[in-house]
Amino acid sequence: MIAQNTPIIPSASGYCCFLVGGDCFAVPSASVAEVLRDGRITRVPHAPEAVLGLLHLRGRIVPVIDMRRRLGFPVSILSANPTHLVLRLHDDWYSLLVDEMLDVIEVPADSIEHPSQPAADTPHDAVVGVFAGASQLVHFLDPQRIVQLPGRQREQFIHKQGATHGGF
Amino acid sequence: MSDNREFIEEFLVESGENLDQLDRDLLALEERPDDPQRLASIFRSVHTIKGNSGFFGFSKLGALTHSGEHLLGRLRDGKIRLNGRVTGTLYSMVDAVRSILESIESTGVEGENDFRELSQTLAAVAAEDAPALAAAAPVAPAPVAAAPAAPEQPVTPVAAATPPAPALPAQPSVAATPEPTRQATAASDTSIRVDVGLLASILDLVGELVLARNELRSIDTVDPALEGVIHRINTVTNSLQEAAVKTRMQPIEHVFNKFPRTVRDLAVACGREVQLVIDGADTELDRTLIESIRDPLTHLVRNAIDHGIEPPDVRQAKGKPRLGRLTLRAFHESGQVTIEVQDDGAGIPVEAVRAKAVARGLVDASAAAALPEDRVLQFIFEPGFSTAAQVTSVSGRGVGMDVVKTNIESIGGTVDISSRPGAGTTVRVRVPLTLAIIPALVVRCGTERFALPQAAVGELVPLRGDGGPRIEGLSSAAVIRVRGRLVPVIFLDEFLSLRPHTACRDGATVVLVRVDEHEFGLVVDGTRTAAAAAHDQSRRTDGVRTVAEAASLSTIVVKPIGSLLAQLGIYSGATVLGDGGVVLILDLRGILRAANLPPVERKETKAAADVAVAVDDSYLVCRTGTGRRIAVPLDSVTRLEQFAADELQPVGGKQVVRRGNVFTPVIDADWLLGSAPAASEHAGSVNLVVLDDRCGGIGIAVRQILDVAAAESVLQPALAAVGIAGTLALGGLATELLDLAAVLPIGGALPADRP
Repeated sequence: MIAQNTPIIPSASGYCCFLVGGDCFAVPSASVAEVLRDGRITRVPHAPEAVLGLLHLRGRIVPVIDMRRRLGFPVSILSANPTHLVLRLHDDWYSLLVDEMLDVIEVPADSIEHPSQPAADTPHDAVVGVFAGASQLVHFLDPQRIVQLPGRQREQFIHKQGATHGGF
Repeated sequence: MSDNREFIEEFLVESGENLDQLDRDLLALEERPDDPQRLASIFRSVHTIKGNSGFFGFSKLGALTHSGEHLLGRLRDGKIRLNGRVTGTLYSMVDAVRSILESIESTGVEGENDFRELSQTLAAVAAEDAPALAAAAPVAPAPVAAAPAAPEQPVTPVAAATPPAPALPAQPSVAATPEPTRQATAASDTSIRVDVGLLASILDLVGELVLARNELRSIDTVDPALEGVIHRINTVTNSLQEAAVKTRMQPIEHVFNKFPRTVRDLAVACGREVQLVIDGADTELDRTLIESIRDPLTHLVRNAIDHGIEPPDVRQAKGKPRLGRLTLRAFHESGQVTIEVQDDGAGIPVEAVRAKAVARGLVDASAAAALPEDRVLQFIFEPGFSTAAQVTSVSGRGVGMDVVKTNIESIGGTVDISSRPGAGTTVRVRVPLTLAIIPALVVRCGTERFALPQAAVGELVPLRGDGGPRIEGLSSAAVIRVRGRLVPVIFLDEFLSLRPHTACRDGATVVLVRVDEHEFGLVVDGTRTAAAAAHDQSRRTDGVRTVAEAASLSTIVVKPIGSLLAQLGIYSGATVLGDGGVVLILDLRGILRAANLPPVERKETKAAADVAVAVDDSYLVCRTGTGRRIAVPLDSVTRLEQFAADELQPVGGKQVVRRGNVFTPVIDADWLLGSAPAASEHAGSVNLVVLDDRCGGIGIAVRQILDVAAAESVLQPALAAVGIAGTLALGGLATELLDLAAVLPIGGALPADRP
């Protein structure tokens, strides 16, 4: 088990695994900046449903993505230990809220099977590969695709304050 | 080799500066060919680059600059004289050196092109004894492949690029930019070079310090020693913050200094004569913004030269001087930097733009006909819009202006355009001074808090419900009257869907904000400075917060929220308050757009000839009982009311409605306009537009109050009818303007004799 609030040392073929809705997912360790437990989330009105809000992390403001919603799981079941997996992609930071953190595993690239047709614009569009782990199937996620919400989840923010015709 | 890397980087930076100096010197030399000091400076620059390239083993660079040096030597010794071919070749050499340096920077090696032909040309020109400058035409430098390792890029001999007759005069003159006097050695040492990453770290740390300082300030203490320290830390942090922000500020000269060369090349390529005037090069702005405006400005300059300024013969035929004038002007104005690109060319053909907008389906023909000129010009910013009859290679592909607008807006700026036919065009770009640390006002809405940039906030109007200012109208057209003007308002809690609509707004505050030329009000619960907001939990003062309490400034550090949320368009970032709470910063321009408010714009007073259009030309748009769409000038409206039809009482032969001790005569709009035979029956509720004393304080009963809108056209008096002064375009639809002069007599007597 990874201790809370630890920085993850990046390694080329290491992957951080976690549970969401009972299934096992993984992202490259190299993209994970840290893992933390508690975090006060500030709501963002009109944000897409999958975005829970903002987290303040040592001077940085980080948007939090609810991985249940993102991956299309029902949200009614509450998790006991929701954990923040903080990703760093170039200069952008995001936090993934997952049900439970698992271990860091080493998987050689050629052991990962790739789906023939990546499912575009669905909650599973971020899945780029699978691996038969010891106890269960591990779904590999592309961090870049996680944070680009599929069209359906991206809310179009249009506000009409009663103007009955094309205003300005 | 990696040790060498550091030296090579220094070489690249220094050589880049040498090349910029070369450009400036060549331009100056063209104007005054007999300036030996100028020539010596050019010689030195080339010599330095040649020497350094030998040290690093850059043989191609060395060979090229060697040929250049030889040519310059011949010039210096008077064996040859300066003419268009010579300067053109030298410019080509400068560009070639630049491209080799670019190749070194990105790949570490010089690239495939050895510019052998250019070297030969340089040698050939050096060997000639060509005629002097006065007689010959200036020549555009031959195109040089910018990309490194491009094998097939012959440098065309300079002669082929000579523009055809009619011959252009001696040289395009370039107004002297105030030039830094150049020493033979490095610039005098009042400045040093600092790595940009280091500066960014320092600014980040200062940001953290500001946050910590805010937290410290929110601590209540009675210990005088502690208070003293807190006070000192506060003062020092303020100064440190100011200084840190200043390190990021650079004069816009860094952008402007490339333009003399660019303008010269463009002018020659397009066959124009252009004088470039630069004003305000010392205006400072954030260095990150400087890079962002470089490309948009370049495009605007291209447009001005290619499409704006006419060819010299055309200008002469119009009675204009052959020499066109392009002005780049920068100055500070109300917390922003304004940059103007102004030409004295033909102006933008408004009718062509209008027609093109209709042709592209952006607006229908009748609406387009009613649009005033400055609205029409806005279409130029639509993607793919170009009225150029011929797309030239320089510009006119129609991909430019919308990209300019998008780029400027992405850094929080605005761009607009004005034009006078035959006289010229001005494009005005406004960008914020800096983005990092701003003074802010924190507002409360329910249990949430939001921050507004202090620069946009005008005043705070508390709603006390005691007869002071109040919000009038329905939520679709809510306004507040402030010192005689009606300002549209947005209810922040409704806009953000924080809670359902609240009928009672007592205790709320309206924050009047200004975005560009538009003013509107944000209705919130309370306001606090950022520091005081941190105290909200513990110190709840009841009642309304006064304006004075919220008047002091507090600075916040603007943090990005990531593109995922930024694309909502209504937040420009977030910040952390002294109590550790995260607060979103509202993007007022985005909110204005999303709320679809028609602007209540401040327009200049129109000439007396434009009669019957109010100075403050905003209108209240209503629908009468028979469905007619009418408008009333907003500045004649005192208030809007709504009441049940059975509250109407006949008094002295008139209908009135009573509010306390105030009796307001009520006239039905349709009856006034002759579209209903007698005072109509009203069912259900009545909407009343109460006019001011000039009109006898009369209330006009309508079925529905639709909107507040700005006039989009001039009044058409020809369509006047009973009680109607004419027709206006409002909100895209033709609307009849109520003739107030017709209303006034009615207040006095029973209108039994009206048709």
